[in-house]
Amino acid sequence: MQPQPHVSPTTANAGISAAFESQRVRKNRGNYNCGRCGQPKKGHVCHLTLPSTPDVPSTPISLEPVSCISAAASSSRSTILSLTSLTSAPPRQSITHLRRALSFDDVDARNSTQDESDLDPMSTDLDLDLDLDTDVVQPGRFHAVGLWEVLKRLPPSSLLMAARVCKGWRETARRMWKAAEELRIRVPERAQIGYIGSLLQKCPRLIRLSLKIESDIDATTLACIAFSCPNLEVLEISTSGSAVNRISGDELARFVANKQGLTSLKMEGCTNLGGFALSSSSLSTLWLADLHSLSKMIFNCPNLKEISLEFSRQEDDSTDLVTMVDGLGRTCTRLQNIHIASLKLSHTVVLALTAGDFRGLRMLSLVLGIGITDASVAAISSSYTNLELLDLSGSSITDTGLGMICDFLPDTLSKLLVALCPNITSSGIQFATAQLPLLELMDCGMTVSDPDSDNATTEEKSLTPQRTSGYNQKVFIKHKRLKKLSLWGCSSLDALFLNCPELKDLNLNLCSNLQPESLVLQCPKLQLVYASGCQDLLTRAIRKQVSENFGASENHLPRKRLSDGSKRVLAAPLFYQETREDDIYTGKRRKIEKEVCKIIQ
Amino acid sequence: MIVLKSSDGETFEIEEAVALQSQTIAHMVEDDCVENGIPLANVTGEILAKIIEYCKKHVEGGGGSEEELKIWDKEFIENIDQSTLFNLILAANYLNIKTLLDLTCQRVADMIS
Repeated sequence: MQPQPHVSPTTANAGISAAFESQRVRKNRGNYNCGRCGQPKKGHVCHLTLPSTPDVPSTPISLEPVSCISAAASSSRSTILSLTSLTSAPPRQSITHLRRALSFDDVDARNSTQDESDLDPMSTDLDLDLDLDTDVVQPGRFHAVGLWEVLKRLPPSSLLMAARVCKGWRETARRMWKAAEELRIRVPERAQIGYIGSLLQKCPRLIRLSLKIESDIDATTLACIAFSCPNLEVLEISTSGSAVNRISGDELARFVANKQGLTSLKMEGCTNLGGFALSSSSLSTLWLADLHSLSKMIFNCPNLKEISLEFSRQEDDSTDLVTMVDGLGRTCTRLQNIHIASLKLSHTVVLALTAGDFRGLRMLSLVLGIGITDASVAAISSSYTNLELLDLSGSSITDTGLGMICDFLPDTLSKLLVALCPNITSSGIQFATAQLPLLELMDCGMTVSDPDSDNATTEEKSLTPQRTSGYNQKVFIKHKRLKKLSLWGCSSLDALFLNCPELKDLNLNLCSNLQPESLVLQCPKLQLVYASGCQDLLTRAIRKQVSENFGASENHLPRKRLSDGSKRVLAAPLFYQETREDDIYTGKRRKIEKEVCKIIQ
Repeated sequence: MIVLKSSDGETFEIEEAVALQSQTIAHMVEDDCVENGIPLANVTGEILAKIIEYCKKHVEGGGGSEEELKIWDKEFIENIDQSTLFNLILAANYLNIKTLLDLTCQRVADMIS
């Protein structure tokens, strides 16, 4: 294989070693040099070994002197790495997400599919630029900063390949690894043993590590991580496909106890934990998913601020939640966000929770527990009067419970989620919206009968319409601050009146009986409407109302380039046909805030 | 209006808003040393012309929507040859124009991987 043709020397390739220079000279005379060491092939046995991976493209396109480390990107190699960098990652990245039934943030983490949104800038890269100039061999003009910038934007697998180009690049790549603070890896099924270990050893300064495993993971990987990353603070392990997480409770406890600086641990697939006693003075965020039948759960983490425990939805889960919550109340009193998803949640668990002294509790989410009743609500709302988020989706609370919430929590509650609560009616909801002035997010999905619901997404806001049998349910909502509203699956709803000036997000999925003529949307800031499963007429009515609202709120008359290429001043939108609505929203200048309303079906 | 002088003697006169996209030039303007034009010894006329073309397109408030800009960027970056690309990286780094640097380096990174 011949060495790849370089671009002309004047284009300054940094770090081209002398060997390549001589190769080029020899190449001009004829094609009989060994591609690896540049010696003539005749009678030559090459002792140099090139790294041989079948996936490496046989022709690196051109030896660009610059490459960049970037966030995770998929590559042809078997493993996928991602390093975050100052710039946004290329669109090829694969983001690892731990599934959360409840996201404590406004933006649903699952919905962000853009890689850019998940990257954290690494500011240390720039500091190292100054060192590069002197150390890296670079005969050309293209100096190290350029190389660094481009290397920064490369996916890790390409970075590994780039390191094989020449000594200069290898050196720069090595520095890049050393500078890496965050790493996101997807470990595919046939990953070589020790690959993670060798990779982690390159990044001693790693602070955040995110693994998405597709093959089994066990304690040896944990040991690898513990050994290679002394400064690790954030660890995320998510599973996909048929991966099995074999880490046991003892091993996890040992890992957490030994990792002094660990502040955040998120793990999925924890079916084999069995029971654990976690002890850590630095841990502040803990998410464990797919838990099942834990014999004991002791959290000796006094600084724990956020805990999320999702139990598997199997009926034979034998975890003793009451003891666990008791323990939490004694040892982790600084908790601010609690999320527990389990079919076994019951009133006694809630009583244990309220007995604990969580003074700073702001977000409480107890989902899937049919055993949670109005009495539980009374206990919660009287003990924790500073709640900002309350999520009792899947419980059996009734309108009385909602009334209690409104009695005790009107001053702070901004997010209320009561999806899949079959006993809630629209009158309760309307009372709630009237009584909770700070409400920004309301999720009342599937509160109307229809039993074949899909996943219980607790992020959505919705108002539960009246849940009387039959149809003709009407919902009237007038609220000054409501931003997100979800009425998904409310198939008994047939009339909807919304007067919410701040409403941005409305979910009407599966509101199949909502009549187009009984829909009134007075929400000028509406940006996103989900309308899958609705009638077409309804969708058109939505579009019409939205465009009317939009047109009414426009102060100036922007020029729009219509589909026929001409520029017109925007007249009353009612004159435009349905198909032109997309044109109306395009062509805006960048400074104008985008007020496009998307209707997603 | 700001005058830029390339290494091969060409002069370019551009609006301040266009020039201020370069942090280097912005600092010079702040330090008030731009009376006689700004000499850019590291940048040739051809490259400087390209950069000015980019900056004009990206000046705040003009140029169109974000999608249009992206399309324009894509065309801009795909229609230049490699030597120009590398010189653009060098120049964008020297002039400290972050968006152009991102665009060019990303292009090179894409070509590598």
